[in-house]
Amino acid sequence: MADINAAFKAKMVQRKWAAMGVLFLAAVIFPMAPGVESWMASEATLIIMYIMAAQGVSILTGYTGLVTVGHGGFLAVGAYASALSTKYLGTDLITGMFVGAAMSAFVGWALGLVFLRLSGAFMAIGTLGFAFFVGTVVNNVPIFEGREGISLPKNHVIGFEIGDIGFYYTALAALGVTTLFVSLLVRSGVGRAFMALRDSEKAAEASGVNRVFYRTLAFSLSAAVTGVAGVLFAHYVNYVSSEVFADIWYSVDFLVATVVGGSAVLLGPFVGGLFVAFLPTFIELFVDQPGDLAFIIKGGALIFVLIVAPAGVVVGLVQLFRWLRGKLGGDTQ
Amino acid sequence: MTSHLRCDEVTVRFGGVVACNKISLDVEEGKIIGLIGPNGAGKTTLFNVLSRFQDCDDGHVYYRDQQIDAKNTHDMINLGMARTFQNINLFGEQTTLENILIGAHHLIGNPYSNMLWLPSARRNERELTDRAVEIAEMLNLGDELDNPVKNLPYGHQKRVEMARALAAKPEMILLDEPVAGCNDEETAELKEIVKRINSELGITIFLVEHDMAMVMTVCDYICVINFGANLAQGTPSEIQSNRDVIKAYLGEDDE
Repeated sequence: MADINAAFKAKMVQRKWAAMGVLFLAAVIFPMAPGVESWMASEATLIIMYIMAAQGVSILTGYTGLVTVGHGGFLAVGAYASALSTKYLGTDLITGMFVGAAMSAFVGWALGLVFLRLSGAFMAIGTLGFAFFVGTVVNNVPIFEGREGISLPKNHVIGFEIGDIGFYYTALAALGVTTLFVSLLVRSGVGRAFMALRDSEKAAEASGVNRVFYRTLAFSLSAAVTGVAGVLFAHYVNYVSSEVFADIWYSVDFLVATVVGGSAVLLGPFVGGLFVAFLPTFIELFVDQPGDLAFIIKGGALIFVLIVAPAGVVVGLVQLFRWLRGKLGGDTQ
Repeated sequence: MTSHLRCDEVTVRFGGVVACNKISLDVEEGKIIGLIGPNGAGKTTLFNVLSRFQDCDDGHVYYRDQQIDAKNTHDMINLGMARTFQNINLFGEQTTLENILIGAHHLIGNPYSNMLWLPSARRNERELTDRAVEIAEMLNLGDELDNPVKNLPYGHQKRVEMARALAAKPEMILLDEPVAGCNDEETAELKEIVKRINSELGITIFLVEHDMAMVMTVCDYICVINFGANLAQGTPSEIQSNRDVIKAYLGEDDE
């Protein structure tokens, strides 16, 4: 029994990495494919940012069990940190990503301390409050230049100016790094401590998990990953303003992406991020005046997934596949 | 006689209720000590005080003569004390192996190098995994390593809890009702395991249990509490013939 299970698991792990490899390869080749126009590369960049932001949410919500409706706030922290550093210090995109990640990690750590005693719905409300707080700050503190916003120069990577395609590859590389980071993290002893806190705080503490340390660590790592997505977002449109970042819908979108895709599996944010980011464009292909149709579909998808496959689409599909294989006699052994 | 864990006139109040009233007891190193008492006697409260899940209002607790009243819960394992829970408290979605590995959490070393799988962390993880597998085999869990623990039968889950406690390389384990809810077969198996942990690994055991047959055959020494206060202490045979204990459990004789 155990051997079969272990073999099955090893096979699934292999398949997962194979799927990841194919996905990245496709992403690398995609801009060179015939018939691909530059707006498609821009659209793909947007999808990458959503995936990365959802990866950040998955660290906190999926693996540590703290539901966050405030990661739009960290998107803004990353975006503004990099924007200010670009404007006043003249840093390039790569440095900007490190600055954004560091700043976001710090704010995440502080927020983790403030919310040390919150969990469940209260944590969701608290983080929602954080997103509003960030919106208010960037609207009113002069250095962030409110609704006027900060315009950014053309993007540079180690001295070279990059266009849409160059930006796409930079974002893809950054996504590769965050994906590697998350996959290492969740298999490590630290990842185990996160999941232990999620499943039983009492038992985790009895096993020596320092609740304060690991909760704040989860917060800051999660914030850092979403912060990098924020940096990409700022430089993608070459502009940051409170009008964009006071918008609470980013926070909701990232949560929906994480939950729909699967919050505690590596592929979850990919599926969810693709769904949430691409949906509006997809609808416009078929409907002339979509209005709020995208929101309705996202909401419907969220409810559907929570009822049918609470662990997310990816896990649901794996279970369905396993069940089908069982029904068909399991001849694939 | 060396004292491993000692509490000195521990008092805990919940509002007007005095759950523990000046309880003193001494757990001798390398022995199996049992704590018994009728329902509501304050056993679980005392147990939580000893494992630092509950602060005491008065009195002190000493681990190897070091006062631990103000220690953090998660620091107890660094001192060498692990515990299990009365109502199984496992990480249900995770496998047996992962559950055991969590027990070894305080041995993962620097968390930052651990999460990035630096070479030292890689070596460390391999050692921890090897040891976890060894422990699982010792507790007859070798076949269940890759199964999520929520799928395991009750008796197996109880053993996973013990395996998790053992993974921490403790010098002392506190067992909160280790055989509660088990059938005879499972009880016998767990009893053997408790004895083996004590005799083969030299780990001091302190257990709370309602199953008198188990307590009397396993323990070297027994403390009885009633209504939050010390009632009697002694070897199993002394306790079995103690008039106060019989009275507490069976009620007063009408003479």
